[in-house]
Parts: sequence; C-alpha cells; structure tokens
Amino acid sequence: MLKHLYDTDCVTWSPQGKLFQVEYAMEAVKQGSICLGLKSSENVVLCSLKRQPSELAGYQEKQFKIDDHMAIAIAGLTADARVLCKYMRTECLEYKYTYESHHPVGRLVFKVAEKSQHKTQSGAKRPYGVGLLVAGIDPNGVHLFETCPSGNYYEYKCQAIGSRSQAARTYFESWFHLFEKSTLEQLILHGLSAIKKAIMEDEELNEKNVEVGILGKNQKFAHLNAQELKDYIAKLEGFNPNSQIQQE
Amino acid sequence: MIFNPEFSAQQQHTTSPIVTGGSVIALAYKGGVVVGVDTLCSYGSMADFKNVEKIAQVSKNTIYVSSGEFSDFQQVVRELAKIDRSALQYDDGVHPSPRDYGNYLARLSYKRRCKINPLYLQNVIAGFHNGERYLGLVDIYGTYLESNFVTTGFASYFCKAIISNYWNDNCTLDQAKQVIRECFKVLFCRDCRAHDVIQLAYVDEQGAHLEQPERVETKWDFSGFKNRANEKLHTQ
Repeated sequence: MLKHLYDTDCVTWSPQGKLFQVEYAMEAVKQGSICLGLKSSENVVLCSLKRQPSELAGYQEKQFKIDDHMAIAIAGLTADARVLCKYMRTECLEYKYTYESHHPVGRLVFKVAEKSQHKTQSGAKRPYGVGLLVAGIDPNGVHLFETCPSGNYYEYKCQAIGSRSQAARTYFESWFHLFEKSTLEQLILHGLSAIKKAIMEDEELNEKNVEVGILGKNQKFAHLNAQELKDYIAKLEGFNPNSQIQQE
Repeated sequence: MIFNPEFSAQQQHTTSPIVTGGSVIALAYKGGVVVGVDTLCSYGSMADFKNVEKIAQVSKNTIYVSSGEFSDFQQVVRELAKIDRSALQYDDGVHPSPRDYGNYLARLSYKRRCKINPLYLQNVIAGFHNGERYLGLVDIYGTYLESNFVTTGFASYFCKAIISNYWNDNCTLDQAKQVIRECFKVLFCRDCRAHDVIQLAYVDEQGAHLEQPERVETKWDFSGFKNRANEKLHTQ
C-alpha cells in the first residue's frame, strides 16, 4: 500500500528493510519464459522454452555460449542479458589470452554478481532485469550457478527460473537424487520432462520452441539441432525415471 | 654520471643490463622437474654478489628462475606473487597452474618488448600440476616454449651436448641432478661470468623443494697446468 513511497530508486530503503527496485527487477526475471539447468558428475544440460512474440516472428533464443567450457541461459530482459553476455565473453577471452586456460566458472559468476550489485547501490542506475543460469566446467568440477538482479549468486545441482518455474522445481525435487549418476541422455530427458511440467495446457513441446544446450568434461558447449530435439521429445513418451532407480 | 636535467624527464629504456645472473638449467625427470642456477650476480665482469638466492617459489607447486638483469627478476617475482594473492581475494580455491604463470609471463614480456623496454631476462618456470610436469621458457622477446629440458644463457651453447648424451626425461631425480652439476662444472670452466656455487630445486607431486647451495667439484691439478707453471721460459 505504502510501497510507492519507497520504491522510486535503489537508494531508498523501505521501513521493512527492502529495496523495492531490486525486488521489482527480480519480478522481471519471473516474467521471462522458463529456463532450467541440471548437472551430473560429467555433464550440465540447459533447457529453455523459447517465446514467439507473434506468428510472424521467430523464436527468441535464450541460451548463449560464453566460451567452449561455459554457457548461459537467460530469463528476463533480453537486452540486459546481451550486455552481461558480452561482458562474460570479453572476460573469458582476456583470461584465455593471458593464461591460455579457461576462466574459472565461479570467478566469472562472482564478477557478474559484483557488477550487478553495483547497480543496486547507485542513485542514477537501475538493476539488470535478467537472471542467468550459468553452466560451466573447470578444474574444480561441473558447475551450475544462478545470478540475480540483486547481485546474489548461488550454486545449484539443478534449478529453474522464469515463468511457471515452480512446476519444474517440484519435478526436480522428486528426481534430483538421480542426476549425479545420470548419463547425458537421461539428463536431457529429465530436463525436457521438467519443462513439460511448466508449459500451458494448450501448448506442446516441439523442436521449434525448445532449446537444449549441453556441456561436458569432454564436450564443448553445443546446442541440440532440430532433428536431435525431435528425437528426444519423441523419447519423452517412454521416459520413466523410476527405471533409472532400478538400474542402480 | 653527470646529472642532466634534460634527460631525467625522458623515460629510460633498458638497453643493457647492469647486475646480471648466470645460466639456468632445468630438466624433467620421472616424477617432476629439477632446476639449477648458480648463486652469483655479476656487476659487469666483477663477481659482486656471490651468495644470492635466485630461485623463487611463486606458488606451492611452481618455481621461477631467470638469467639476466637481476632487478627485473625481482620485479617479476612481485608480479607473479600478485596473481596468487588475487586468488585469495576470490576465495574460491582456484589457484594458477604452472602453465598459467608461464603464459602470463610470456604476455608480460611480449608487452614490454613491444614498448622497446624489455624485461631483460630469460625466464624459466618449472612446476608440477595434476600429475603433469611443466617446464616453460620465456625469453626477452616474449617467445614462449614448453619443453622437457630448458637452458638459458651460455648453458644453451655449452651444455646441450652434455644433456643429450647423459639425460633422458625418464631418469631419476639424482641422475638429473648429476647432469646439472656436470653442466655447471663445464660452465665454470668456460663461462667467464659463471660461479662454482650452485643451487638446485625440484618440484614433484608434493610441491616445490629448494635445496641448500652447494659447490661444484672443480679440478685444477692437471699435470699439464702444474708442469706448465714450472716450465722455464724459453728466451732467445
């Protein structure tokens, strides 16, 4: 009710200790279409649902390669995502030029978080309106991070952000104990099953509106092509996570 | 040197080194890498500082040695230490590997070369990381080479024959050390700026180990020398 008194800029706290501008920015992330990520001990998979603004338009891409060993999936303002994507790519390139090795994933996420936090503590700036799922592989292992407009970042075994992501997270809560030992194929099928929980009744998954990116210790970041997507979506029918338990 | 106010405003470029260190020899052995360097810093042709520690441990599993201008060596040690320290700030447990240091130094040297103000050094980075041995050479121009044996300075001319005859990269630590000692023996005889006290250090999977300085064996009591000294001079 009195929110509007304290929500004009980032430099005003509310009496309850909230920064409303930052919270509004996180709302922008929740409005974006769903993207999710999940990892095993060897691979990370990113799945997202692409939106089509109108029938005449193409589908908005949501996954971007940062370097051979790292990629992001975005939810929120695509223009803001583009800025962060460019920053991450530049940092990776500079690191590779200097050290001839891959930028440690956690460290780059930390840099993005620092950048994001800076925007929340200035009178003249607004927070980035995009949340990133950062998938990456480095000598420390396989990683999946989430970044927020607030400047916080978290590491996850699996996470979903964006519109109706709670449904996907509920799916994850039931099955994430299987992910560590899953094969790449099983991971992809889990990811697609989770996305399926998050789509509307009248929508259906097809190779046009779904985007799947894979990353592995011996696998540079790659998107699944249209044919591979079709095949995996077809396999969803017969996919039963319970059979994975029986295998172990 | 006469103080000339005109010149003090200009940036001075390193055109010739003043206090210099001698050759470095580094060999890979089965299970690690071993580096040897003498303990002398020469002031031109004067053997000025005879007990200098020239092996820098830049991280747990990486050591750095170089020949050339000693003040540049000290500066590079500070630069390399900065990298490991910044890792502490991120607090994510990720530390540079020996190869990261080697490449960083190559970039640094190349940048200085492009400004015609080089780091007047031939550098050796030696380390052991993830079960792999690492030996890198970075020269004054920023040329970067990885190899399983590396020599700088006069050792590149006098010692390669000894190394290829008596060393292979599967030898033991003691065998590799013996080859290095033999090389420094020869260098002391042939290189005017060499010294007979050397220091060895090796890196294996436990990390870097620096040893105490030791004197190389030298032999001067050849009968030829003795007889020659006692010969009467022929006068005509």
